[in-house]
Amino acid sequence: MKIDRRSFLGLGLGAAAGVAASPMTWKLTDDISIWTQNWPWTPVPRDGEVTFDNTVCTLCPGNCGISVRKIAGRAVKIEGRGGYPVNDGGVCLHGISALQYLYDPSRIKSPMVKKRDAWKTVSWDEGLALAAEKIKSLRDLGRANTIACVAGSGEGTIAGLYRRLLMAAGSQNFYTMDSMDKTWKMLIAEMHGFDGTAGFDIESSDYLLSFGTGFIEGWGSPVGNFMANSSRKDRNAKLVQVEYRLSSTAAAADQWIPAKPGSEADLALSICSVMITENLYDKDYAEKSGKNFDDFAKLVTEKYAPELITRTTGIDVPKIKSLAAGFARAKAPLAIAGRGRGDAAGSMMEFAAVHALNCLAGNINKKGGFWMTKDADTMIWPSLVMDDAAAKGYAKAAAGPGGSPDRLFDALTSAGEDETPVEMLMVYNANPCHTLHDAGTVRSAIEKIPFVVSFSPYMDDTARLADLVLPTHMFLEMGEDIHGCASSVKKVTALSKPVAGPLFDTRHPGDAVIMLAKAVDGSVRASFPWESYEVAISEVMGDTWDILAKDGYIKCASQPPAFRPGVDFKLLVGYDGPPAPLGDKKKFPLILVEMDHMRLTSGAVASSPFAVKTVPDTILKDNDILVEMNPETARQTGVSPGRMAVVETPVGSARVKVNIFDGIMPGVIAMPGGLGHFGGDNRYIGGKGVNVNELIGPVIDPVSGLDAAWGIRARISRA
Amino acid sequence: MNELKRKTENGSVEAEAEAVSSEQKAGEDSGLGLGVLFFIGAFAVCFLSGWLLFPSLLYSKKEQPLNFNHALHVDEMGGCDSCHYFRDDGSFAGIPTTESCMECHESQLGDTEDEAIFMKEYVEKGKEVPWLIYSEQPDCVFFSHAAHVIAAGMDCVSCHGHIGTSEKLRPYEENRLTGYSRDIWGKNIWGIKKNPWDRMKMDDCADCHERETGSKGACFQCHK
Amino acid sequence: MTKDNHGKAYKFGMVIDLDKCTGCGSCMVACMSENNVPFKENETDKKDSLTWMTVYKLTNGKPFPDTDICYMPRPCMHCGGKGDHGHSPCVSVCPATATDYGYDTGIVSQIYTRCFGCRYCMVSCPYHARYFNWWDPKWPPGMEEYLSPDVSPRMRGVVEKCTFCYHRYQEARDRAYYEKRDTIAEDEYQTACTQACPAGAITFGDLNNPDHEVYKLVKPDPHNCGRPRDPKAFRVLERLQTNPKVYYISEREWVRKAGDNYRKGEWDKKNMLTKADGQH
Repeated sequence: MKIDRRSFLGLGLGAAAGVAASPMTWKLTDDISIWTQNWPWTPVPRDGEVTFDNTVCTLCPGNCGISVRKIAGRAVKIEGRGGYPVNDGGVCLHGISALQYLYDPSRIKSPMVKKRDAWKTVSWDEGLALAAEKIKSLRDLGRANTIACVAGSGEGTIAGLYRRLLMAAGSQNFYTMDSMDKTWKMLIAEMHGFDGTAGFDIESSDYLLSFGTGFIEGWGSPVGNFMANSSRKDRNAKLVQVEYRLSSTAAAADQWIPAKPGSEADLALSICSVMITENLYDKDYAEKSGKNFDDFAKLVTEKYAPELITRTTGIDVPKIKSLAAGFARAKAPLAIAGRGRGDAAGSMMEFAAVHALNCLAGNINKKGGFWMTKDADTMIWPSLVMDDAAAKGYAKAAAGPGGSPDRLFDALTSAGEDETPVEMLMVYNANPCHTLHDAGTVRSAIEKIPFVVSFSPYMDDTARLADLVLPTHMFLEMGEDIHGCASSVKKVTALSKPVAGPLFDTRHPGDAVIMLAKAVDGSVRASFPWESYEVAISEVMGDTWDILAKDGYIKCASQPPAFRPGVDFKLLVGYDGPPAPLGDKKKFPLILVEMDHMRLTSGAVASSPFAVKTVPDTILKDNDILVEMNPETARQTGVSPGRMAVVETPVGSARVKVNIFDGIMPGVIAMPGGLGHFGGDNRYIGGKGVNVNELIGPVIDPVSGLDAAWGIRARISRA
Repeated sequence: MNELKRKTENGSVEAEAEAVSSEQKAGEDSGLGLGVLFFIGAFAVCFLSGWLLFPSLLYSKKEQPLNFNHALHVDEMGGCDSCHYFRDDGSFAGIPTTESCMECHESQLGDTEDEAIFMKEYVEKGKEVPWLIYSEQPDCVFFSHAAHVIAAGMDCVSCHGHIGTSEKLRPYEENRLTGYSRDIWGKNIWGIKKNPWDRMKMDDCADCHERETGSKGACFQCHK
Repeated sequence: MTKDNHGKAYKFGMVIDLDKCTGCGSCMVACMSENNVPFKENETDKKDSLTWMTVYKLTNGKPFPDTDICYMPRPCMHCGGKGDHGHSPCVSVCPATATDYGYDTGIVSQIYTRCFGCRYCMVSCPYHARYFNWWDPKWPPGMEEYLSPDVSPRMRGVVEKCTFCYHRYQEARDRAYYEKRDTIAEDEYQTACTQACPAGAITFGDLNNPDHEVYKLVKPDPHNCGRPRDPKAFRVLERLQTNPKVYYISEREWVRKAGDNYRKGEWDKKNMLTKADGQH
């Protein structure tokens, strides 16, 4: 017997026939095709019961109600909360993306200490001990006043706790980030002698005259404004936009008034002059009960008559007169200011000029008008315990006067070699290294501070410069009291609640500060008698707490306040225009402005991957930011569309790509804000584009002392 | 005769060669036979392994985390829908959560070993039991229990067979290639089915739909 | 089940008011979040970016200060095809029957497990509403936890597109079955973009039902493949006879004109006809 070719043939054939006669081939063919359709690495999301959990979004000051759709207890989507007074079911793209912030790769997972430029993970006890040690030693040295804190906003119990910590330690250096709300607050104090907040009854107004606001691009309460804008046709209401660029707001408006940049206040006063000369104003309110009206009337009629300002504004006389007639004849006219999103303080004089229109129309504390409401004093804080060190420190003036963070960092920049106005800085819910103008200088100022503690949930532009990070929960992981959107008349006090996580070794920001105070010991500890933030908020909020805990929110009656404070035009009598943008006109012939794009965040947190997906490539293309300019500007400067160019300003320079847009005034170039973030491990937004705040320098407003910059002089050339 | 001539001429050397050649011849003769033998052998091996070994290789047997007595529960609770119910939004709850089991099993109810495991591992730890679902369809399938049970009035047995009267859970068989439960393709390796519940592939859905509604339906009717 | 769109079946469609749309992008993100749409590291490179709902920006092309812009959200148009018989451009070319026309809903499906990625449908779609998965989706660590089980995550090598949130229709139907109802109410089935739009610019409903808002807004002509009878309403690329189920409304003439390519003088002639119609 010999094994030969035929045997192998037999073997092969037999095997083939055997396999063919068995189900193997057919079954495998089917299974392999199924396998290729369902790769094992394609995720299969778990199914389960659908539930909804309500909370409030705190990504922007709009504070919309959101509803988190959960499946088997797992948060899968964020939707608008129907029936919520602020947004009634509507929601913006950033709110919907909030779950991406929860799982953001740049989340800080545990406390970390920077040692020789490298991060080292530490426990909460170790981290808190480090920070407490620093506070203690500064207090012992009698330098308690060099402890500073920068917070996003001053509202709410969490900000209250941080402020309290500073006071208890002995420092006045508590700062909140600028916003138009600060300016409005100062303005009504100045013009009406009223201590409270300004609100705009936009949805009942029938003539909205907006001076460069991004009314439907994130200004005020974004979602509420979208709804108010959509209902204009039904309400027979008009929107007029004064802006040098065809923004989305200008495009949506019934009338677009392309006034030259910087001339908005002049235009407002010119409308005032027409109203006064043509007797189109509320005499009872403005003249009879108003102070210094005659001086104001004299100023505007003599210096701001339409004929006189038509050159500075670029708006012709008939148009100004028709604007005045339209505004004055409307039932509920309302003039609003606060450029873009309104997240800059802006010029007090500009706000005053715009608000003079509201005063002349007499639409103050009326339906569809300008409202002044008293701040609800719902919080009851126990008395503060201040020892000697605290009292001595607190007696010393703050490093940055007027609560302006710009001036704090300015003080640091201009401090001599041997001076250290700030020895320790705490940063909560703010990202000054990105959001403040001249961000590069702010960064160097922060680097000068010997000890910086960040309470950020994310490794952001500021946290990366810290010496210690004590990471807090992101907003979906925590509860806090929320005090409505200041510029809206819908005053809602709400309680947010944790709807996910916490995913990492983070703490509630309120707990973090209480724990820190307890670690400092002594009188500081005594000022924080609460076990936890939950105990603190329930005690501090008093009676409000029970309602909030039960109902989730309290809506104040949306009736105009019953009283009408009079008006004093004194501030405007000394009007000499808002501060001009930085830079020499000859050297820098163009004006660079920041444009707020609804699809990009501009605050402390960088945009989510979803948001980046929606950003068109006329804003951001690969890693290049685009600068928008009129074809005329491009022709004059010799740059070409789609090509790289260099933008230079007195503060800095950047490589940009050129985007041509007919809708922007020649001579003005615009760059989107909210880009050029340090993303940490988030490569979806990190490092993309340029931060426009590195190119625009702050201009301190002579009246408010806050940063009034909205642009800067610039030049552009081919790269 | 040439052969003879060669033999005489070349003597024994030749004979030796001849012996080799005749052996070769014999080999050639039986060559076909051996081939057939190999054929039969290979056929048998492959055929049998295709039938017997292949299925056991293709499917991995997995034991359920604990044994569950359906018959006992049906006796105690009534119909299937006392545990496998519809939620108020019309979705089907499927396998009960530990929480719903605890409505009765707050504390140990029987003294079986499985009951003890259930209490210790899942109730006390507040964990879900990782049941292996025999009738689990792939992720691309949207199956509406409401459409079949409520609208069409079908009973559970039509698709799930007599699991309700079983006292023990059989091992779950997972296809190593596709990750599907064996119940989708069917116990029978050819996928031949005797009962409606023996196989639940797309064609089985389509057949029934065509029979009952006159149309196989649009893709999105059952896909997501 | 009826074989065309003239019968009693649903014919789901969408009306988008371009004068209300602010281009905010909520619809795009609501869609991504609802439908497990993946994202890649460099989403500023739009060549292979997946956005079932895309908001385009149109300009009237006039110089400053007569420039005007308009935002146009573009989901899948769920074309009824020529004669509105369900021969959508994409459905008629798919060699795998991975996309089909639901005669009961008017919705064009896309079955990812069936698709083998030839991208013929993408070529045939005049609206660029279809997207190809060049890569397997990848989420940052932990982020897979937010994926919804209502929509199957895709794999590389398949085409995907807007489904009018069909899973929401399935869920609405489940509830109707449970409550022993034959029909579903208008508000029971709304797409994620409609629900999210803070401007209320998107309306969704049954174009066959005169009580539904979408019908009232555009008054589709049943004898003319659903062409809008409202003079302010239009469909994009009407002349291709794709018979889309997404309608747009705008008071601005240049916007309506941008919805199709017109020969010289054709637009004015068409407008005169509409005006004459209005006088009758």
